Amino acid sequence: MKLQFTGRHALVLGGSSDLGLELARLLIQEDLIPLLTFRSKAGETRIHERLAQYEGRYQTAYLDFSRMESIQSLFDKVNRNLDFLVDFIHGNLEGLVGSVDTRDAVAYFAENVSARAEVIKRAGRAMLGGKKGRMIFISSIAAEKPNPGQGFYAASKLASEALYRNMGLELGERGISAVILRPGYIDAGRGKRYLDSREPLPSGPKDRMKVLTVKEMAETILFFLSDQAGGFTTTTITMGGSWKKLE
Amino acid sequence: MEEVGMMQNNMEILEKIKQIVADILDLEEEKIGMDTYLIRDLGAESIDLLELAVSLNAAFQTEIRDDDIFLRKLRFYLEEAKTTGRDHHAFLAKQYPFLEDSRIREILNDLNGGAVLRISDLVCYIAHHQQ
Repeated sequence: MKLQFTGRHALVLGGSSDLGLELARLLIQEDLIPLLTFRSKAGETRIHERLAQYEGRYQTAYLDFSRMESIQSLFDKVNRNLDFLVDFIHGNLEGLVGSVDTRDAVAYFAENVSARAEVIKRAGRAMLGGKKGRMIFISSIAAEKPNPGQGFYAASKLASEALYRNMGLELGERGISAVILRPGYIDAGRGKRYLDSREPLPSGPKDRMKVLTVKEMAETILFFLSDQAGGFTTTTITMGGSWKKLE
Repeated sequence: MEEVGMMQNNMEILEKIKQIVADILDLEEEKIGMDTYLIRDLGAESIDLLELAVSLNAAFQTEIRDDDIFLRKLRFYLEEAKTTGRDHHAFLAKQYPFLEDSRIREILNDLNGGAVLRISDLVCYIAHHQQ
């Protein structure tokens, strides 16, 4: 099946992650133009190294949710050229709800919920100009079934999901839709670190456990950005077939 | 001469706004004038106002603060003025520096009629921010 896309400009938040880079590669191959955000010099370098063969076919921009001015400068760069938004960014705050320092919690929600709301708002307004747009938020199965210590992470994911869901709800009639994906374990980033830190599982469950690869996840996202997935709107999709096996 | 120039500028702004509003609400431009109420007469909803803000921003290259241009906090400000014992007119004039005194008086006399936002308020906001 040849995927088709309405629009060319894709903003990828968290563009220097393994997933962001793999998605960027797929987007470029579909003749789309990804704008990849990075938060550090190392992230920027990583993007340019990994996408060296695609020079001139992607863009980069600095974005740090703890610095509101970076959101302004990002959208100065976006201007009104925005058809797709994929959001991989999410900070982590591990700790029992009863023990996390309140100041850490306040800062965490300011970055991961309030700053994201500002980004979503600006993205929605940019898309409204073109009367079309697709937003995909990469949530986590932890939003639904957190482990002990993931209360703040789960709460901020759920809050972010709600923001995206409402964007789809409110702007749907103007051609802007949103889909939320809740992957289980991915062999990258936080998921990989967690899996690597675990004791080896008994052979039975481990063999049956489905850990998503970066390639699988990126291809899934690409599909949800395509016209063929247009029927999925304002919805949350759980991709957590492995969850029970890890409990 | 300056006044004539301002009036001409306001008319140019009005013409653009009429086009934009007509496009968003799928109306004839002829139905829209300075005194037209955006919500009361034209039935604009919150999503229409959001789209209008985006279009005005693009058309005039002016930052649009939705709460201000659409007088969204008007009744909240009036309540605040009441509870703090401040003069309603003066308080609104401070919150909405783009509105003339005569318009604020009109608004205060028109509160029982429903949403007070008029096309002229949008024109004044744009003109004020272009200065």
